[in-house]
Amino acid sequence: MSTLRQTVKPVSVVVIIFMLSLVVPYQSCLAALIGTETVLDTAPGHEARQQVKQILDREDIRKALREQGINAEEAKARVDALSDSEATRLAEKLNQLPAGGDALGTIVFAALFVFVVLLVTDILGYTDIFSFVKKHPR
Amino acid sequence: MCFAFLLHVAISLTLTACGTLQEKWPQPSERLPARHEIASVPFYPQKAFQCGPATLAMALAWSGIPADPNTLAPEVFTPSRKGSLQSAMIAAARRHGRIAYSISSPDAMLREVSAGHPVVVLQNLGLSWKPVWHYALVVGYDLNQGVLILHSGNTPRNRLSLRVFENTWTRSDHWGLLVLPPTRLPATAIQHAFVSAVVGLEKAGQWQAAVEGYKTALACWPDSLGAHIGLGNSYYALGDKGMAEAAFREATRRFPTNGSAFNNLAQVLWEQEKQHEALEAARKAVELGGPLVNTYRKTLEQIQAGKP
Repeated sequence: MSTLRQTVKPVSVVVIIFMLSLVVPYQSCLAALIGTETVLDTAPGHEARQQVKQILDREDIRKALREQGINAEEAKARVDALSDSEATRLAEKLNQLPAGGDALGTIVFAALFVFVVLLVTDILGYTDIFSFVKKHPR
Repeated sequence: MCFAFLLHVAISLTLTACGTLQEKWPQPSERLPARHEIASVPFYPQKAFQCGPATLAMALAWSGIPADPNTLAPEVFTPSRKGSLQSAMIAAARRHGRIAYSISSPDAMLREVSAGHPVVVLQNLGLSWKPVWHYALVVGYDLNQGVLILHSGNTPRNRLSLRVFENTWTRSDHWGLLVLPPTRLPATAIQHAFVSAVVGLEKAGQWQAAVEGYKTALACWPDSLGAHIGLGNSYYALGDKGMAEAAFREATRRFPTNGSAFNNLAQVLWEQEKQHEALEAARKAVELGGPLVNTYRKTLEQIQAGKP
């Protein structure tokens, strides 16, 4: 019995070292680089959200939102709830808005911006501001 | 193919729709000369059913890679289908370190040819319900005479009327393919499509070619996030962590709100034992968040745990 134990002991040491050598490189592989394809797939939606949120931080936009009875943080939470393709479409629509430099242009932009954000989130059923938007029963 | 000549004449007699041709095929203009022929494309005659390997071999040879239809055949030819699938043609081009870039309109095809890039096309020489598929290589065109010049089957520089070609090409949904050295940008390149084509080189394990492809993309679109990250990832795969670090650093400089750029920078810094900087980049990635934030957290935890 003891001879068996004596012969098994070095073998088990070898086995342990072998198992460790298998496991260690895999561990460092787990948290590795983000693949190029993943970046290509996820970046557009993320960027679109960032872009919309950046504009939501502007004081004139916050004011226009308040007039609709919504605070900017709530609006951001709604933008977060959009899927990537929805967020990209929203950002595209917003990019088409006229961006006037003078005071009147800024007010018009702010009102339009808020209108488009709420319209898109309305259509998707996240908000219920405009009665003319027909909702899908979810 | 390629018993299709008679069939092909029959189709051109019966199925031509003259009205659509003028709309689809562009007129000569400033950006499109009336005619052009690429002189430097070698010709390989095909064996029975082997138009895929022969066409790909011509395109590869033009791009600077010595290629032989016989050695290419096992890579692209599917014996049970007596033909070569489009996906196999794309994969084979990538396995030889060449960019495979899709072309899907007459305008784009002619512009590429006028820029000196031969275009692989898939034709259906038969009918939609009795297809006779055939690959050929477009090497020139003459809009004044209304002809396309193709290396096709056993005929080099075959002159085919645009009308007949249109009928046979429409039945493959205008499937076309560029096979380019990674240092060369298609004349009609679209950023996302080109960067995705370079990702294809990564998938084929052609890392050196991918590095060159991403550099080509960045020369044209310095603000392509995908190309910066891809360049870093490809250098990393080649074992050049210094260059990978430089690429990721540039990505973080141009895209200061993108967590993936910081995550990848953190990883290569950590592997080079730049512990302090790595920690800073990883924290920034987690702080920026986004859909991949769980992976960023793992990177941060790993760096906090100590040296690699």
